[in-house]
Amino acid sequence: MATQTTAATGPDRRTRPGGVRVALMFGLAAAALAGAAVLSLVMGSRITTPADVIGALTGTGEEFTTTVVESRYPRTVLGIMAGASLALAGTLMQGITRNPLADPGLLGVNAGAAAAVVTVTAVAGPTTVTGTVWAALPGAVLAGAAAYTVGTRGGDGGMVRLILAGAVISAVLTAYVQAIALSLPDSFDSYRYWVVGSLAGRSFDVFWAALPVVGAGLVLALCVMGGLNAMALGREAAVSLGVSTAWVQGGGLVAATLLAAGATAAVGPIAFVGLAVPHVVRAMVGVDFRLQVPFALLVGPTLLLLSDVVGRTLLRPTELMVGVVTAFVGAPVLLYAIRRMRSTA
Amino acid sequence: MSRQTTLASRTQQAQPAPEAEYGPPPGVLVLRLGRVGALPIRHRSLTVWLLITAAVLGASAVTLTIGDLGISLTQLPSLLTGGGEATDRFVLSRLRGPRLLVGVGVGAALGVAGALFQAVTRNPLGSPDVIGLGAGAGAGASVAALIAPGAVPVPLGALLGAGIAIGLVTLSTGTGLRHPGRIIVAGIGVSAMAQAFTHFVVAFIARDEATSLATYLNGSLTARDWGHAGIIWGALLFCLPVLLYLAGPVRLGEMGDETSQTLGAPARTTRTVAVLMSVLLSAAAVSVAGPISFVALTAPQIARRMAGAGGPSLVLSAAVGALLIVCADLVVQRVPLGEGLPVGIVTMALGGIYLGHLLIREWRKGTL
Repeated sequence: MATQTTAATGPDRRTRPGGVRVALMFGLAAAALAGAAVLSLVMGSRITTPADVIGALTGTGEEFTTTVVESRYPRTVLGIMAGASLALAGTLMQGITRNPLADPGLLGVNAGAAAAVVTVTAVAGPTTVTGTVWAALPGAVLAGAAAYTVGTRGGDGGMVRLILAGAVISAVLTAYVQAIALSLPDSFDSYRYWVVGSLAGRSFDVFWAALPVVGAGLVLALCVMGGLNAMALGREAAVSLGVSTAWVQGGGLVAATLLAAGATAAVGPIAFVGLAVPHVVRAMVGVDFRLQVPFALLVGPTLLLLSDVVGRTLLRPTELMVGVVTAFVGAPVLLYAIRRMRSTA
Repeated sequence: MSRQTTLASRTQQAQPAPEAEYGPPPGVLVLRLGRVGALPIRHRSLTVWLLITAAVLGASAVTLTIGDLGISLTQLPSLLTGGGEATDRFVLSRLRGPRLLVGVGVGAALGVAGALFQAVTRNPLGSPDVIGLGAGAGAGASVAALIAPGAVPVPLGALLGAGIAIGLVTLSTGTGLRHPGRIIVAGIGVSAMAQAFTHFVVAFIARDEATSLATYLNGSLTARDWGHAGIIWGALLFCLPVLLYLAGPVRLGEMGDETSQTLGAPARTTRTVAVLMSVLLSAAAVSVAGPISFVALTAPQIARRMAGAGGPSLVLSAAVGALLIVCADLVVQRVPLGEGLPVGIVTMALGGIYLGHLLIREWRKGTL
């Protein structure tokens, strides 16, 4: 009996840290994000000082360094937006599918964006980076919407159908993308630069283009956040607790799709932020979604900005795209995590 | 009284002769090799296999005969024995012959690899690609193209890349290849890394090189020679004895670890050897044709459905794999829109159709 009690309180204490501890961690996470943002403004092929950044922000700095720092505003802002969106989308997907390996790309968002990029360049010729984003945005949203509609057709079919629908759309669209890209050199060019995933060379236009989509996703995510806790107990338990499972599940998936679509269109497909950040956040604050969501919004951008900074400084003066860095940071973490799960088969 | 007699007559009907008690169930043919081994073959499987093999032969004949340089069917026998016209001989021995043989070999290898992998992981959507083999091969090929195009042969790079990827997966599970669940998670990580690297290289190098690399990365059978055919058929022959031995234990393994252990098939060893064979065959396929997607996933499933049996069928799966590749290659060679594309794009579209079929089946299940 005594062992049972400790077994029950043990994980409970771990998954529900006290208020002071949460506040402290929140402060630390916020500070880390601020630090990452400053680093993103300071570091690059020309390294400036924090003083230059302050000078540029207040308008008192030297003209040249001000220009350098100002050129880093868009990518920093984009990094914050994309990182937060992907992390939140991953948290929602993993919570709703109850699959710890669920990824925002599961619903065919990446393939949809890529298909739109190659189609637009095939029809209208080569475009700029911003043009690519304008093309990718509807493509990503449409692919996600199609997967969602097909996957949830005919009522309550569970997650298997949804994931199959995402896989069908991804496979068919990827075949289409490859066929177009290999036939038309211009499409191939815009596709190959987009698909790596990078924050570079994008102006504020990209940010404004993606903001409405991402913003709608964020609002929707905040609406369903509380219901996800009940969903984590299982469908029956959630229903008996008075939660509308259809609303939470549907709203959560739509929110995840919008967030992932906005981020992917803006910066290209970026691996592992959506997959890894929810795990990091759960290790920090436990399974309560009302804590997971705000922490994901802080940890995601921190990870993405730091990865971008590393990519900018590692091969100076050329750049390593942020998508490559996140994969090479995220994958070893995943492999390490597998090694640690010794007890389970 | 009458009930007793019917019962007795029924029992008699079910067991007409005492020897049949130990014999094979109806509809099964047993090939015996003295006391060393016996291979049960179901009549339906045999019929289906013969049909698919006939289809492969038919598709091969079409591949050889149509088009500007096509060889007429009547000349084929004399060409195969060394006679015939010089042009036709050139077409057969340099252009279409090796390509066709490589296609059939790659299809068979992928079919077997997928059947083994799906059987031991008990996952109908599993294939060696899931554990990072294709992505690793792509990264290896990219390195070869990045360092010095032409200096390192791209297939060798692909083979090394696939080897490194599988090695990384094996090491990082901490338990080798014994736990399918861990292999798959580790595979996700390794694939993501390899894929990111490949994308980077494709974006980094010049456009012409990038295009030819991207063609290879989709899996292509263009311009294959006898060396390629030798590699893939050599690998198939090399694996054949192990596969013959493995067929029984793998079938037993589908009943669960305990049952299979009781019936004399060590579950863990079977699984490790099966994954190893699966990796070996897919690596051979990747080295000659690049990472062709979805054949290893769909071929075993189609074979299973056609055979109508629960167990995996390696032979049938090999035949279906060969048929898929030969037909897909015919599409990219002859269908106007697909002309010149790598064969892997067609198999990817086929994979999409297969997944769509699964989805529709799920719908039916839901509405019934």
